[in-house]
Amino acid sequence: MKPTEDASGPTVVLKERAVLLFHEHLTTVRRRTDRLFAGLMLAQWAFGILVALFVAPYGWEGKDRALHAHVYAALFLGAALTVFPIALARWRPGAVSTRHGVALAQMLWSSLLIHLTGGRIETHFHIFVSLAFLSLYRDPWVLLTATVATVADHIIRGLLWPESVYGLPNVEWWRFLEHALWVGFLNLVLLHAGRVMRREMREVAVRRAELELAREREEDKSAELDRALRELSGFQEHLIRVEKLAAVGQLAASVGHELRNPLAAVRNAHAYLSRRLSRDAIGAADDPRVPQFLGVMERELGACAKIISDLLDFARERPPALQPCPLRPLVDEAIGVVPSRDGVRILNEVPESLPVPSLDKEQFRQVLVNLVQNAVEAMPQGRTGQVSVLAEGGDTGPWAIRVVDDGTGIPPDVLPKIFEPLFTTKTRGTGLGLAIVANMVQRHGGTISVRSEAGRGSEFHIHLPATAAAQAA
Amino acid sequence: MKVPALSRGAWLLGGLLWLVATAAGFALLARHALTPGPTLEAPSSWPASAHPPLAKGRPTLVMLAHPRCPCTRASLGELSVLMEHARGQLDARVLFLQPEGTSSDWTQGPLWRAAAAIPGVTVLVDTGGEQARGFGVATSGHSLLYDAAGRLRFSGGLTGARGHRGDNPGRDAVEALLREAGGVGGSSEHAVYGCALEEPPEARATNTP
Repeated sequence: MKPTEDASGPTVVLKERAVLLFHEHLTTVRRRTDRLFAGLMLAQWAFGILVALFVAPYGWEGKDRALHAHVYAALFLGAALTVFPIALARWRPGAVSTRHGVALAQMLWSSLLIHLTGGRIETHFHIFVSLAFLSLYRDPWVLLTATVATVADHIIRGLLWPESVYGLPNVEWWRFLEHALWVGFLNLVLLHAGRVMRREMREVAVRRAELELAREREEDKSAELDRALRELSGFQEHLIRVEKLAAVGQLAASVGHELRNPLAAVRNAHAYLSRRLSRDAIGAADDPRVPQFLGVMERELGACAKIISDLLDFARERPPALQPCPLRPLVDEAIGVVPSRDGVRILNEVPESLPVPSLDKEQFRQVLVNLVQNAVEAMPQGRTGQVSVLAEGGDTGPWAIRVVDDGTGIPPDVLPKIFEPLFTTKTRGTGLGLAIVANMVQRHGGTISVRSEAGRGSEFHIHLPATAAAQAA
Repeated sequence: MKVPALSRGAWLLGGLLWLVATAAGFALLARHALTPGPTLEAPSSWPASAHPPLAKGRPTLVMLAHPRCPCTRASLGELSVLMEHARGQLDARVLFLQPEGTSSDWTQGPLWRAAAAIPGVTVLVDTGGEQARGFGVATSGHSLLYDAAGRLRFSGGLTGARGHRGDNPGRDAVEALLREAGGVGGSSEHAVYGCALEEPPEARATNTP
């Protein structure tokens, strides 16, 4: 497969990378082949010694015997033929000289084995097998070295000792060419196979280079995306900060507004009392307006304290400290805190047998107080009504706690906003009560929803997951 | 791997030394293979003391062999080829040495069986090497061809090197003698490649009781 990109830049990079990968692969293959031959040399050495011991273990003189010269040849000449190429493979793996040294040693091993087997024609096949092994280097020059070594061996032996290689005492001078021809024929086949292998390796290298470039491009894109995401995240944080500042501003305005009226009333009362006490401190005790103004001050300061308390509850996001908390007594406690109103009944309908969930007692009491107080306040003045607190669930199922009233209900346009902070329809109020409730329920892993019908009342539904019950068990 | 220049030079020198050592090793091996064993003067006519006597009406070839010499396997191989080419014109005997103090098991080993398997070849024991001495033979594989009249026509080995089979001048000479004149014309001497049939004199002196 060839690169087809029009732009020369990527194509050049691709080609350079493919060439690099091809050479890396080729070097790996050649180092592996070096190691293969190191093992093969050892095996040939052992085989040569065994052949010598089997074919010609001893030379004889009458009854006297001594190790045959072939055994020494297998040991020492075999060692020379083995150790040098192994050293090359060990200390110069992948080097050009290593594979040529290995090729030379391998062909000399053919000569030695042929000699050790008494010139058996079958052992001559070692030459062809060796050439096949050497072709694993995928280097045509290695085959040339091996072929030159074989041909040189044939020429020298043909001149000095023709029987050892041709099996005939007198041979024509050109006889080595016949042997070289067959070796050359095998080489042609091996060269073709080597060329095919190298071409396939190049194709693999091009594909790998394409994949690597594609991966690099994807990584670049991914890095760009990450950078964009980081920027977006920064913008989001900035936006949140801006929104928080806006919320703080709104909150400050709301709280300020809520605090201004009671503080104004306190200031007026305080001003009156100051004047009255400076004019006639003793006679002030008889002034009926003094206790009246003191009562105003106490009430309005209490209102201020309530506003500050709500604000702190909303601001502090304390994680719930879960502990086994029976619901029915908790509801009783909450009802006890809510100021009673004439004509409005508050009922605790939580079954006594209800399993005990794990809750943050303080937070959940606050939740119940806010919901019950809202329900009581939702009753029109001068009308009787009822607020009920119900609960069910437990064991292995989820929990459902409901606060139901039969008041005027919540208008549909108001309903979606009631859990938003600072939203209120009351003439006096910070708009934090239900936001605090929603926050606390969420921190318990639950949800809160509301269903309301104009003129028939509202139902707040708290849904707690089953884990609450499980943790309490 | 980047190799320092000095190291590369050392490798080159090592390679050259390796080549020289290897060439020397092969040269020594070739010299050993091509070094013939000692030969003595063979009797020009069939010795009267030889047993069994000369074959009647056809040439007789006698090979003196060491029963454990690895080179003699090649000599027997060439004898096998020779007998096939001779097509019954030749009476061949292989006399295997049985030195004094050895049993018949020492002699009748794989080479004995190989010789016995060659058609037309009679395998005999040469007790104490007396026959070898009678024929003036000192090296295993030494073959002597006598014509029907008992005249020596060939003396030498049937291989061209130690333990190497294949066409060789010795076997060619015997075949030529048989082919051209039925084993009666001319004579030939060739080198013999094989083990010594007798211990060196000093060893013999030591072994003597």
